[in-house]
Amino acid sequence: MAKSTAEETIIARGVRVEGDFKSQGAVLIEGEVAGNVQIAGDLRVGDESKIHADVVAQNAVVGGEVRGNIQVAGRLELLSSAKMIGDVTADVLSVQAGALVNGKITMDGREVKMPKVESSDDKE
Amino acid sequence: MYYYVYDEFVQDPKFERELSAIETRLTDLGIAGKIARLALFRDPKELIRDEIRKGAKTIVAIGNDLTLRKVIDAVADRDVVVGMIPFGKDNNVIADLIGMPGGVESCDVLSARILQELDLGMVNSRRFLHTVVMQNVSKVEIECDRDFTISPFRACEIVVRNLAMPEDDVRAADPTDGRLEVVVRVPQRSWFGAKKIATTVVPVKRAVIRSATNVAGAADGEAFEGNEFIFESLPRQVRVITGRARKF
Repeated sequence: MAKSTAEETIIARGVRVEGDFKSQGAVLIEGEVAGNVQIAGDLRVGDESKIHADVVAQNAVVGGEVRGNIQVAGRLELLSSAKMIGDVTADVLSVQAGALVNGKITMDGREVKMPKVESSDDKE
Repeated sequence: MYYYVYDEFVQDPKFERELSAIETRLTDLGIAGKIARLALFRDPKELIRDEIRKGAKTIVAIGNDLTLRKVIDAVADRDVVVGMIPFGKDNNVIADLIGMPGGVESCDVLSARILQELDLGMVNSRRFLHTVVMQNVSKVEIECDRDFTISPFRACEIVVRNLAMPEDDVRAADPTDGRLEVVVRVPQRSWFGAKKIATTVVPVKRAVIRSATNVAGAADGEAFEGNEFIFESLPRQVRVITGRARKF
């Protein structure tokens, strides 16, 4: 059984998430996600995860596959197992040997609009 | 005014001594009150609401989690305080979570009146304080906050937590954060037969669980069935007397 982690939201292996996935806090993704990912906190993407979505996060560490554009306000770390197919925007970028990046990398200090996660009460 | 709701099983002769000691201590502390004894054909909701109309301000469940659930169902939306004196060994998780010791000591905790406003969970108009557990659920889809859906690849266990202890794979659920926690445990296949569980945890305000098959679940220990369950967090719904040893 996996030990509990610092993340308050965990998408584990064995599930698929579809739609506009939003979170105020830190998120760990180890399963499959399709749609949009908007995270006001830090994101960690596990080695075996598959994300088919545009991703916005405060900081991110990516070890799995991301097909879509990724925008990170702070630091983006691509691990050796990472496979990025899409454009990357980050303030600080770290790429380990073996990571695959297929897309445009922008590091011009432009501000990344962080998502304002709306509660379900606001939608009533 | 205190109103004590004795569950049916508490009236068993084996609890007579303990009950008598508790009643004496409550009188010593000046918090003795009217007593209602639940029985098979007595509707606890009606009984408790009638007493609230007559002026009861603190309703104390004497029994276990199921007794507390009956009281919480009855006091929803009413301006009263809920307390508990735990009895018996089965179904007594909530007492531990809210820091209520067993036996006579619980009278002192009641008397100290440390109040906490807690959220409740609601599933298909059934309120719960602790958790809803659904085991071996297959062909299921969980819609979270009307934004996204979670689809487990195989049969899994789903637990919706409002107030719960930390476990190996999940942290404690806080009943004051205005959210429920959806926990999905999916068994993973492994080469050497070792059983591995992948745990998904998503905090939500609202969730809808739909299954192609009929699913059996338990809300705070009370069984129910269905194939669509609408969950909602009801923030600050109930004022509960808690002990210093509470787990949140």
